[in-house]
Amino acid sequence: MVTVEAPAATRNAVPYRTPPMQQPSTELPVIRTDRLTIRYGSFAAVRDVTIDIPRHRVTAIIGPSGCGKSTLLRAMNRMNEFVPGASVEGAIHYRGRNIYEAATDPVELRRQIGMVFQKPNPFPKSIFKNVTWGAQINGYRGDLHELAERAMRQAAIWDEVKDKLHQSALALSGGQQQRLCIARAIALQPDVLLMDEPCSALDPIATTRIEDLIDQLKTQYTVVLVTHNMQQAARVSERTAFMYMGELIEVGDTNIMFTKPVQKRTQDYITGRFG
Amino acid sequence: MTAHFVDLLDQLRRRALRMASLVQDMLEEACDAALSANAGLAERVIGRDNDVDAEEVEVETEVIRLLALYQPVGSDLRTLCTVLKINNDLERIADCAVNMAERASHLGSDYDPRELKDLQHMSVIVQASLRTAIRAYADSDADVARDVRRGDDAIDATYGQIIRRIIHQVGDTPGRVASHLDILSIAKNLERIADHATNIAEDVIYQCTGQIVRHREFGDGI
Repeated sequence: MVTVEAPAATRNAVPYRTPPMQQPSTELPVIRTDRLTIRYGSFAAVRDVTIDIPRHRVTAIIGPSGCGKSTLLRAMNRMNEFVPGASVEGAIHYRGRNIYEAATDPVELRRQIGMVFQKPNPFPKSIFKNVTWGAQINGYRGDLHELAERAMRQAAIWDEVKDKLHQSALALSGGQQQRLCIARAIALQPDVLLMDEPCSALDPIATTRIEDLIDQLKTQYTVVLVTHNMQQAARVSERTAFMYMGELIEVGDTNIMFTKPVQKRTQDYITGRFG
Repeated sequence: MTAHFVDLLDQLRRRALRMASLVQDMLEEACDAALSANAGLAERVIGRDNDVDAEEVEVETEVIRLLALYQPVGSDLRTLCTVLKINNDLERIADCAVNMAERASHLGSDYDPRELKDLQHMSVIVQASLRTAIRAYADSDADVARDVRRGDDAIDATYGQIIRRIIHQVGDTPGRVASHLDILSIAKNLERIADHATNIAEDVIYQCTGQIVRHREFGDGI
């Protein structure tokens, strides 16, 4: 018997949420790219990539600079549309539906597939406003304070900011700002979190906190992590994909990828023979 | 990873091979000492143990340093893990050689040299096994390493034969029990050395393929 379970986003549905795209089977990947090619003008940054992103797992994407990993990540919630000249061939299925179909609302899609960027980018507003802003403009009618506290607890920053919620978010440290951005993404109750090198601007202690947080988040969210830091990929992900020059070279269990990868190019990259 | 790290790995491997060579010499001399009752040679083997002990600690220290500083993955990680494990096996082989030499030094002359025939045979195949395991390591050759695993049964069989012969002879020559025990002890140490050689071969297979083959039989995807 196939167990059908609603996505995390719909289990904790808030009033403004639109119906889910599809009731998924737990056996199906949350996201599946199908022969995906992404071009900037005539340059193919991602070439013919087919990859599954399993539910409630951390999937890391590694590869040298310019390999297309961030482009692939941004395509998963159509952030590439903001890049002039970007075009997409193939498909990305989110819970069974092609997100590049004309009927897909990209704003709604980005609420379900949230994103955390390389540099913390809090709004120049209070800590409280940062977390509740997205929900507020989307017509959330519940208790904003409750929403903010829940999101900030999940992002492991509540204890540090609960007494200064109305102070500027810009006064926080880099690590705190990044966790605040994660809280902001979580407040919209997404299904998937895309993280584009979320620790690259942080010191080792802040990095450890974010890594611990990712480990906790995967119990409720599907996480896709782009990172330059291979040790980080090895520490926090269950699956690792290696990209090189726009191609997906190898994807598999992280334990295998970092001890006995199948492809020579993966082996050469992880051991620093190139890149 | 830097070219510097690759050089350090290579240096470490060569260091492990030098230690392997030293341990091979100790085994050869311990066998000669036992089979020819050469006390001087036995003393020489015993005297070299400190060198192996010191080298083992230094190699292990270097492996830990490289793990901490470079956090290697993939084949580099397997190379370091293999050095660490082989280093330990080599040190244990040296200890066994010392045990053999200690027995040899007080074997005396009250035994019949013909009794040593099986022991001589066993020493030849155990030395060959260690030599092959070290060659497999030097050449990173998993096929050669598999040959070592296959040969271990013959060594165990010879060891069993020695035990049976001694059990039989103890009844006929009760006055030479001490010598029989010395020969038994030497055979036991040879059997252990063969096990360590098999361990080294299994580590080479891991280094080459990423497969952990310990406690698995041939034919089980190995």
